[in-house]
Amino acid sequence: MSETPKSETPELVVEDVTVRFAGLVALDAVGFTVRPGTVHAVIGPNGAGKSTCFNVLSGVYRATSGSVRFGGRELTGLPPHRISELGIARTFQNLALSAALSVEDNLMLGRYRLTRAGIVASGLRLPRARREEARHLARVREIADFAGIAHRLKEPAGGLPYGDQKRVELARALCAEPRLLMLDEPVAGMNATERLEMAELIVAVRAGLGISIVLVEHDMGMVMRLADRVTVLDFGKRIADGTPGEVQEDPAVLRAYLGEEVS
Amino acid sequence: MTRLLELLINGVSLGAVYALIALGFVVIFRATEVVNFAHASLLLLGGYVTAVLHDDLGFLGALAVGVAAAALCGAFLEFVLLRRAKARRDVVAIATVGIDIVLTAELTRRIGTGVLSLGDPWHNSVVHIGGVTIAQTRIAALLTAAVLIGAFLAAFKYTSWGVSMRAVAEDSETAALMGIRLGRVSMSAWCVAGALAAVAAVFITAFPTPGLDRTTSVAALKAFPAAILGGLDSTTGALVGGLLIGLTESLVGGYQDDLSFLGRGLGDVAPYAVMVAVLLLRPAGLFGTREVSRV
Amino acid sequence: MSRPPLTALLWLPLLILPFYVDMFWLQAGLFVMAAAIGAIGLNLLTGSTGQLSMGHAFFLAVGAYGYVYFAGETSGHVTGLGLPAPVAAVLAVALSGLAGWAFSPIAGRVSGVYLAIASLALIFLGQHVLFNLESVTGGYNGRAVPPMKLFGFAFDDSSELIVAGVPFGGLERLWYLGIALLLAAMLFARGVLGARPGRAMNLVRDQRIAAAALGVPVGKVRAKAFTLSSMYAGLAGVLLALTFQRAVPDYFGMLLALDYLAMIVIGGLGSVGGAVAGAAFVTLLPQLLARYSGDLPLVAAPGADGISPAVAARYLYGAAVVAVVLFLPTGLSGLLSGRLPGLRRSATPMKEESPQ
Repeated sequence: MSETPKSETPELVVEDVTVRFAGLVALDAVGFTVRPGTVHAVIGPNGAGKSTCFNVLSGVYRATSGSVRFGGRELTGLPPHRISELGIARTFQNLALSAALSVEDNLMLGRYRLTRAGIVASGLRLPRARREEARHLARVREIADFAGIAHRLKEPAGGLPYGDQKRVELARALCAEPRLLMLDEPVAGMNATERLEMAELIVAVRAGLGISIVLVEHDMGMVMRLADRVTVLDFGKRIADGTPGEVQEDPAVLRAYLGEEVS
Repeated sequence: MTRLLELLINGVSLGAVYALIALGFVVIFRATEVVNFAHASLLLLGGYVTAVLHDDLGFLGALAVGVAAAALCGAFLEFVLLRRAKARRDVVAIATVGIDIVLTAELTRRIGTGVLSLGDPWHNSVVHIGGVTIAQTRIAALLTAAVLIGAFLAAFKYTSWGVSMRAVAEDSETAALMGIRLGRVSMSAWCVAGALAAVAAVFITAFPTPGLDRTTSVAALKAFPAAILGGLDSTTGALVGGLLIGLTESLVGGYQDDLSFLGRGLGDVAPYAVMVAVLLLRPAGLFGTREVSRV
Repeated sequence: MSRPPLTALLWLPLLILPFYVDMFWLQAGLFVMAAAIGAIGLNLLTGSTGQLSMGHAFFLAVGAYGYVYFAGETSGHVTGLGLPAPVAAVLAVALSGLAGWAFSPIAGRVSGVYLAIASLALIFLGQHVLFNLESVTGGYNGRAVPPMKLFGFAFDDSSELIVAGVPFGGLERLWYLGIALLLAAMLFARGVLGARPGRAMNLVRDQRIAAAALGVPVGKVRAKAFTLSSMYAGLAGVLLALTFQRAVPDYFGMLLALDYLAMIVIGGLGSVGGAVAGAAFVTLLPQLLARYSGDLPLVAAPGADGISPAVAARYLYGAAVVAVVLFLPTGLSGLLSGRLPGLRRSATPMKEESPQ
């Protein structure tokens, strides 16, 4: 994974982002900054607005107001596929693979933005399309190897064990050669061993690629171990922002989490 | 002016009938997320049963059996397609295409080249109000549809059946957890839809239409654009869509001599043009739920 | 996709068939080839991209009448451009694609079953135009189709040709053209499906939002799939017109559109080979029932009282559609390739699960 072409990763600046659905405020003037090459966790109780936040960053939802900038580019007006072209890739909390396609094909979908072959070139199997395919397949195999799923490449993704499907999700995002990687609960539903392996993989991604990572996660142990900085949301509002140590001691955070435990 | 008024009244009446059909279509979609492509053949079935029996049972008796037959057939389809199939809803929708192929083949074979009367009591009588001449069937259609739609909306709003139905449409998993029996809701939706279609069959085939023939299901198909331009998941949409389609058909048909450069029989296809125009502006229909995501 | 020797063996008997079978089988076979090309196209849209279309018959009509208009001569009440037949065929396919592309504001934005109803408009508006545009279509009674001529070689009965003692008339000659076109259509579709555009189509079907997040422009992919499927339909329409030798507007109606949906469901959604198998099933069934109606119980001879072969065929394949959806989600293609239906249950096409 070391020979990745390293383009400069810019800062991701989220400012005053508000999202309303039919009168319901899902995000209320939320802001934070993801510095290049860091792991930034967004945490909070259920319904705090973490997923909404992810969906705004990746362009799935439109922010009612506020701004998201990535290296000087304003993202809030862009549809998801344009945002992806800027080098932002994400995973989904509930697996979003094509179950019928092989793992290899799913990973090749990660290369979509980096490849060009269209219907005519592919249908006629033109040499340039085949060369492109071969070139990117080689890189996909490398990434699959890195993610520990190389032995599964030919199997339909839907048939893999849950933990492996989560790895395919992550590997597919990596295949897009992102500058910013967004992980939506990468260890949700995993057992202890799988969690550990996934955490190691994320650490390796960060060490090997030097890209920024935004992480939404429920597993506190994992967040505290991996994150450089943590933003805490509750009821759509930002209630804390700081290093894992600072956040852990924050009374507002304790209240939010204990409150949840009680109810 | 009288002509316009006549066309408007006919259009509203026709629209009310389309609304009846579209309403059933929407109810099925809301309760089970299945698009029932066999809906027009349910209507044909109800109409055919009524037509065959009205000599022996009288119009109302025959209609009652026709309504029951269409409702039962709806329930049967629900049982076969939704209880047994584990396939997803859009694939089940394709299965209804198969049902439609079989039902339409059988019914058009029985109907043959004939034109059957459903034995309605209004025949070709007309009433004159001021200078306006209207067929009694059109008034009967309007009144019947208004009563049925009113009753349906009231039931939808106030009865426990209606509440269950809306709860299931909102979130079927939670509804099931709250003790609502999904099977019962889903089956009743298909029954109601079949029954409404059978009633609509009477008015789709009554004067000035000569009667039930093999093209009746094509006429009934216009409820599809009605449902979709209103928004597939909206009962209000079905009503508005039905009226829009009915008015379009009536007005374009009525003035087709002035539109002759667009070809003969324009009234029958204009509803589809209206649907395309609405979908261009609003892909989820006029009252349909628009998705939050921007994909 | 990966069984070239076996596939080649399957094609071999097809090449020698014209030497052994009579006109009936040749014509039936040509109808199957035309239907198969159309079904592959619809399957690219419905099976692989998850977009249901009832408008396929319209694009078949555009192909058929496009060809007739471009290649036909002006005579009597019909007009034509009198272009060379191959040019006319290519233009007809392009015209179908153009018509499909013109529908993309709807085909790109309206999804799944909604598109099925929206595309009904194409059938009804299309039929309206076909019946009224008499100078192009010949109106109710249709118009004759000019034969294909390639490099001076005519695909009709006009000139005498005997190959190995067998007289080669129009159908025999068309047979090989049909095989070539079908083969090309299959290879092209497999090329598309196995590469970048096909993968994107599959993900648009299965996980629309994930597709967008990976840079796939969902609306554009849907519109392109619709255009491509229209071009397949156009090619099928050209071959159909050449086989029929007469194009009649009534043929391109709602029933034909349903036939094509039945083909791809019975054959297996998303599978190229399945589309061909489904096309053979749906196309041959009524013809076989008609030919052997005397030997079959319950089926009356064409024109006699009772259940006609055409109606009996509709019962059978309507029931087949329901049975396939209920019990065999991968269709004939799954059955033939020996894959267990249960294994691919989770992988059946047209799934749409919105991730959060």
